[in-house]
Amino acid sequence: MTAWTEPAGPDDAVDGVVPALVARPSSVAEVQAEVRTAAAAGRALVVAGRGAHLAIGAPPRRLDVLLRLDRLDRVLAHEAADMTVTVEAGCPLDRLARALAAARQWLPLDPPHPEATTVGGLVATNLSGPLRASQGTVRDLLLGLRVVGADGALVAGGGRVVKNVAGYDLPKLHVGALGTVGVIVEATFKVRPRFACEEAVVIACPDARSAAEAAIAVRDAAEPLWLEAAGAGVVGDRATVVAGLGGLAEEVAEGRSAVLAVAAARGLEAIAVADGAGLRTRLGAFPLEPAAAVLRAAVLPLDVGEALDAVEATARAQRARVRWVAHASCGIVRVAVEEAAAVATLVAALRPRVAAREGTFVVERAAAAVKRGLDVWGDVGGGLGLMRRLKAAFDPAGTFAPGRFVGGL
Amino acid sequence: MPAPLTARLRALLGADGVVDRPEALAVYECDGYTLARAAPEVVVLPRTPAEVATVLRLLAEEGVAFVPRGAGTGLSGGTLPVAAPVMVCTSRLRQIERIDVGNRRIVAQAGVVNQWITDAVRAHGLCYAPDPSSQPACTIGGNVAENSGGPHTLKYGVTTNHVLGVELVLASGEVARLGAMVEDRPGYDLTGLVVGAEGTFGIVTRATLRLVRVPAAWRTLLAVFASVDAASEAVSAIIGAGIVPAALEMMDRLIVGAVEAAYHVGLPANAGAVLLVEIDGPAAGLDPQAAEVEAVCHARGATEVRRARDEAERAALWKCRKRAFGAVGRLAPNYCTQDGVVPRTRVPDVMRAIAAAAERHRLRIGNVFHAGDGNIHPILLFDEHDRDEVARVLAAGREILEACVALGGSLTGEHGIGIEKAGQMPLLFSPEDLLAMTRLRATFDPEGRANPHKIFPDAKVCVETRTPRRQAAL
Repeated sequence: MTAWTEPAGPDDAVDGVVPALVARPSSVAEVQAEVRTAAAAGRALVVAGRGAHLAIGAPPRRLDVLLRLDRLDRVLAHEAADMTVTVEAGCPLDRLARALAAARQWLPLDPPHPEATTVGGLVATNLSGPLRASQGTVRDLLLGLRVVGADGALVAGGGRVVKNVAGYDLPKLHVGALGTVGVIVEATFKVRPRFACEEAVVIACPDARSAAEAAIAVRDAAEPLWLEAAGAGVVGDRATVVAGLGGLAEEVAEGRSAVLAVAAARGLEAIAVADGAGLRTRLGAFPLEPAAAVLRAAVLPLDVGEALDAVEATARAQRARVRWVAHASCGIVRVAVEEAAAVATLVAALRPRVAAREGTFVVERAAAAVKRGLDVWGDVGGGLGLMRRLKAAFDPAGTFAPGRFVGGL
Repeated sequence: MPAPLTARLRALLGADGVVDRPEALAVYECDGYTLARAAPEVVVLPRTPAEVATVLRLLAEEGVAFVPRGAGTGLSGGTLPVAAPVMVCTSRLRQIERIDVGNRRIVAQAGVVNQWITDAVRAHGLCYAPDPSSQPACTIGGNVAENSGGPHTLKYGVTTNHVLGVELVLASGEVARLGAMVEDRPGYDLTGLVVGAEGTFGIVTRATLRLVRVPAAWRTLLAVFASVDAASEAVSAIIGAGIVPAALEMMDRLIVGAVEAAYHVGLPANAGAVLLVEIDGPAAGLDPQAAEVEAVCHARGATEVRRARDEAERAALWKCRKRAFGAVGRLAPNYCTQDGVVPRTRVPDVMRAIAAAAERHRLRIGNVFHAGDGNIHPILLFDEHDRDEVARVLAAGREILEACVALGGSLTGEHGIGIEKAGQMPLLFSPEDLLAMTRLRATFDPEGRANPHKIFPDAKVCVETRTPRRQAAL
């Protein structure tokens, strides 16, 4: 036991696995000490920020210490004129957003629940939201990382400048890696100017397939800031396409006309919504609404309609209630399933169909009981051998979240 | 290198697929970085990804090291063979295998030239965004290896932002298909690690790329300033106004003078610096933004701001930028382009450091660069017959990079470390950082046979440094 550790309680469980200790270090040096101690003792660590996204991943094979980084929460350097920000891993995104807003800037990544999502969690889980349609994902905005490795060494990768090809792009190793190859303690991002205006247009559609098709037409006509398709019951009582428009008032007006014209040409009702950012937040928060599981398919953009048809048909056959939202132009479909009992059947039915169209299908998050006996990741294909070698090279003793990641890594 | 191996390679690839006559090998003794030269013992030219895999399996059996090469336009000596007898050229892997307009994807073999991608999809209103100045010649395989950039990366990102997947042949000959046509593939981002690895993980034979919509409209402006400092302030003010230009390029006095002498575009020959600003996007927002750029430039002391009235004028303004290197050719027999990065607010500081290095080493140095990214490209002029001047060029280049690092920047923004800057990596990275990188390398290539002695400072480099020739443009 150290000054920053205490016995864990049931609330500290990760997918039902309760650790012995919770560590809440206040400095990078304390994180390094904790990792060294754990590695020497053969203990397994799972890193957490504020715990909002711990339902992502497979249950840990072993868990001794929950390493909470919420005390490492400073914005270290916001260089507004350089459009970069360096921030500690435990800083929640809403606080980071406030710091950036002072200079009319933002980090245009909009995962659900920014107040409960830390920078480290954002990177480790590769969370995204509607803005990815035009702004990219973590990998596109991350410039540098500091990471504590399995030997306790502090390793820097990348840098603080917006363009940099010196050496390997080590930060990429940690994006979406669920903390299985190191503990992220600090990140540097490029930031962007905020848009003067953000509006949205909602198009009501008769069904999922027509919503997916209308979304692609909107993409080609207006190149919107973000572009979601949503099933009945998410935005209205019908399926909808929701297009976000950002920029100067003139740009937004031009985009609005273009989107409305697409709707009119298809004989679909459409309305403009002034509070585009509010609607985007609602759509982005969707996956955390109460559900036994959130499933996530990644398909080609033109295959979204077919994927949605398959989801709805399978759910009907199972008498399962599902709601869905898609980042339509990115080909990302998220499905919230209410009945725990239906999850395994849905996964078994949909995964091969999506795979047959070059897609992937994962259980994005689920209650611990639902995950039991379920392969949350599915087959990752050609790179698994290299991934095993990577894990062995960067975490030879299996200190970091063993079993949480793809292929049991 | 064992003679039977050459015979086996010839049996596999045919007579025209193996080059080993010394006079023919001279072509391969350097890439765009000409300050060091070394010819490989054998050059092989496979025609298909499968042949690349077969070649690497053969080399693996014999334990022979190799160096990959695309079009040879690289600027950091990444394709210089160092203790690598075999050079594997991907230039005959020229197939565009799949064009998917609706999904905005393209699958291209490694030897496909960057420009061909955009040419193949332009009729559909799409393009491939990364646009290095060598794009009429450089290949996708080389772009992936170097994580290439270009003038339009300020808004659109560099190669890594546009690669969804690669087929990588490991040094063992094993073929790894990484990434996918779809986004968010679960697992480690191996594709992201391979991009920019400078061919040290194996040979990329295919890449799956994103296509983007050609912007609806452009506004291109050229602003003239009395000094680099004033132009730099304008750069910061444009960014500070919340505008993200598609390109924001600067040329200093020496370059402006050379461009004007060569092309007579009417630039004031005594201008201290010229900014080329391009904004793009939906037509509606462009005029207000262009007006703001003009106002910002005037407020920062611009003596003249021109706005291209049509496509012909836009092309004329870009000609100044893209042909600046050709113009420099009139000023000196030889030149060498450096590549460094600083935070964009430190551009005036690094320009002063460059001027100081020029004075200290009695050199003429011009600057034409991506100001919006803080990505500098000092052009050092020299005469290759003056051995002392060549030595001073090398010393000044090193000092400029040291200044970049001291200002919080990086050794390279888009040209790579290669052989040129391997020795300077410890300026930027600690021993622990470098250890993590070598660990990563060993994961892909445990025997260290893929492009050995690049990137890392322990390189036991033993190459002949000959009189340099003119170095290619960035």
